Amino acid sequence: MNVPWTLKYKPQTLDEVVGNKEAKDTILRWIREWNKKPPKKRALFIYGPPGTGKTVAAEALANDLGMELVQSNASNYRTSEAVQKFAGIASQYTTLFGKKRLILFDELDGIAGNADRGGLREITEVIKVTNSPIVLTANNAYDPRFSTLREHCQLVEFKKPTRTEIETLLKKICSYEGIEAEVEALKLIAERASGDLRSAINDLQALSQGKKRLTYEDVSWLSTRDRKDAVFKVLSDIFYARSSSDARRAVDAADVDLDMLFEWIYENAPYQIKNPNELSAVMEMLAVADLYRGRIGSTQNWELIRYFIDFMTAGVAVSWSHKSSGWVPFKFPTRIMMMSQSRAEREILTIIGLKIGKRCHISATCAIKEVIPYLRIIFQANDKWKKGLSRWFDLDEDMVNYLLTVKN
Amino acid sequence: MWTEKYRPRSLNDIVDQEEIVNRLKSFVKAKNVPHCIFAGPPGTGKTTAALCLAQDLYGPGYREYVMELNASDERGINVVRETVKTFARTKSIGEVSFKILILDEADNMTSDAQQALRRTMERYTETARFILIANYSGKIIEPIQSRCAPFRFTYLPMEHAINWIKHIAENEKLTIEDDGLEAILEISGGDLRRATNILQTAASVGKPINEETIYSVVGRANPSDVQGMLLTALNGNFVEARKKLRDMILKYGLAGTDIIGQIHNETFKLNVPDKWKVKLADIIGEVDFRLLQGSNEEIQLSALLAKLVEAGADIKRGQ
Ligand SMILES: Nc1ncnc2c1ncn2[C@@H]1O[C@H](COP(=O)(O)OP(=O)(O)OP(=O)(O)O)[C@@H](O)[C@H]1O
Ligand SMILES: Nc1ncnc2c1ncn2[C@@H]1O[C@H](COP(=O)(O)OP(=O)(O)O)[C@@H](O)[C@H]1O
Ligand SMILES: [Mg+2]
Ligand SMILES: [Mg+2]
Repeated sequence: MNVPWTLKYKPQTLDEVVGNKEAKDTILRWIREWNKKPPKKRALFIYGPPGTGKTVAAEALANDLGMELVQSNASNYRTSEAVQKFAGIASQYTTLFGKKRLILFDELDGIAGNADRGGLREITEVIKVTNSPIVLTANNAYDPRFSTLREHCQLVEFKKPTRTEIETLLKKICSYEGIEAEVEALKLIAERASGDLRSAINDLQALSQGKKRLTYEDVSWLSTRDRKDAVFKVLSDIFYARSSSDARRAVDAADVDLDMLFEWIYENAPYQIKNPNELSAVMEMLAVADLYRGRIGSTQNWELIRYFIDFMTAGVAVSWSHKSSGWVPFKFPTRIMMMSQSRAEREILTIIGLKIGKRCHISATCAIKEVIPYLRIIFQANDKWKKGLSRWFDLDEDMVNYLLTVKN
Repeated sequence: MWTEKYRPRSLNDIVDQEEIVNRLKSFVKAKNVPHCIFAGPPGTGKTTAALCLAQDLYGPGYREYVMELNASDERGINVVRETVKTFARTKSIGEVSFKILILDEADNMTSDAQQALRRTMERYTETARFILIANYSGKIIEPIQSRCAPFRFTYLPMEHAINWIKHIAENEKLTIEDDGLEAILEISGGDLRRATNILQTAASVGKPINEETIYSVVGRANPSDVQGMLLTALNGNFVEARKKLRDMILKYGLAGTDIIGQIHNETFKLNVPDKWKVKLADIIGEVDFRLLQGSNEEIQLSALLAKLVEAGADIKRGQ
């Protein structure tokens, strides 16, 4: 019963492979060339980030064309002998039953170090003479070790599918599984996967195990992979720590995502701390912590993370008197959810801004500030003008609805 | 949009800015235009003047000879440079031997980008003349300034702005009450773009246009109630103030730096002791700087709000 969903919902046809339309077109064009005679580039080199569907695309292609896929992974082509043996069988034109073959050398990155150059060299030799189409996959086609090999291959890049594309696939899986999922929940999974469909599907399965409903709150635990009470405990260990080192230790003890923990502390500080001077001191600590986080981002120096931790734990703990005004429950940090929502909104806002800017001779930013606020009111107040202006600005229905829904 | 419907199409129709208009007209007469910088506050006719100059110079087919680029929209100098190159490469075939390139909001270009532009301007002077438009000419680097004739636009004087609004109202058959007119002027302060947008929005609602309708329209249009947020914090309600801040950033897409600018303006109008104003200015400056270092807008600004809560409590205690 516990089939991984990545297998259960694996695309069977190239059409079902999500995203990467251009790449798929290239693949089809290349395979069609084989109908006449072996093309100049007898191998196709699909490269791109993990979990974007490279292997799956090769499998689906074979499936679509009724070919037999002969595949092998890294261990089979470490040495030239191994490659020869594998390719020797594989590259014969047809199988016993007249099926054509598609040869797949999957995960070429798996060939490590110089020791295995023999294997790569042999693959290049095989490509030169093969009578069966060959597909190679790797994450990074521009690894110097592939330089000779690359010359004999048609390169195809698999890009990360968009968040919306991932979301759509997740939605489909949910409906097959009879899971009722909140849009925000799926959005967050998709967002966090940052283009890796494999991990998105795995997360979805892990999170909805035995559930009929999947809420945003369920998903926000993705990062912490922890229980709610565990976070509550860390929070109270930090807010009420006896000493600075106790506060720091609270983080080590719990296996929580630091950014998420920061959000919890930041959201809850004003509810726990009522004294204005103390609240101000604590918020300043959090701001300094955030400053270090910003510096990590701009310098890529991850060592700075320790100061981020210092200020969000010890800094908070020692900046107030721990005199709480009675028990206050911890609140769920809603900012993250609003942020993922608003990113999409900002995208559409910019597009509208550009369209208005073009007409009114101003930049998108200026349009967002100076025109859109008024346009919203006009659209709400006056149907006739709404129609005329949307046409003039060339706004589609989604954009108009967006302007109508965000109320001033 | 009325801003476009009523945008002048010839230098003759531009309101005020007389000296500028006269000099531009002399360019038209001579059929020669130097590189120019138009600097001045928003909604005072900079872009309009550039477009009118082109229309007077080339006539109805002017679009062929004019290119408008907005530096805030074009990412990276390379886009600008490439576009300029292809545009400037082909000669103008008409009576006028050059084309015109309008680079709007040029003060938003980094100085590196401007440096690169400087070479392009020089190389193609024969075939293309640049009109750079900016709010602050100070943000345009010296070497470019030295290549350009400067034009300073100023806010339109009251009576001109009044006539402008009346002119539109008449054409659109609107009745606008005197206090409504005053309200528009008060709010837009010589920025005709804003004045026109406010008027059109008020007209769309279909009520009589008076002080009340104008203020209600503007109030609804400006959710970035910075003042309200600051007062909420001063009154001790941090959670509510933070929520307002969050809405500004996430719902209305305001940039942190814009909010900071507004906070800075409002701070000195607040009813708090001067000692606190100066203290707050220091904190605001610090936040401004931290944002440059990649920290988070909401977190930094809410630390500022917490300081205001502190100030509020301090003031109450002192009195
Ligand atoms: N584009 C896609 N469309 C639909 N499902 C996909 C897609 N990409 C990945 N998946 C899902 O993720 C699983 C793994 O995909 P696949 O093996 O093709 O990844 P890959 O690109 O080869 O990654 P790696 O570089 O790690 O080998 C698939 O079984 C499938 O369920
Ligand atoms: N001096 C002016 N004369 C006539 N109309 C003006 C003048 N200044 C601004 N406007 C009007 O205000 C709007 C914005 O003007 P614009 O030239 O785009 O401003 P900016 O100075 O910001 O480039 C246009 O609709 C224009 O008709
Ligand atoms: Mg793979
Ligand atoms: Mg302008």
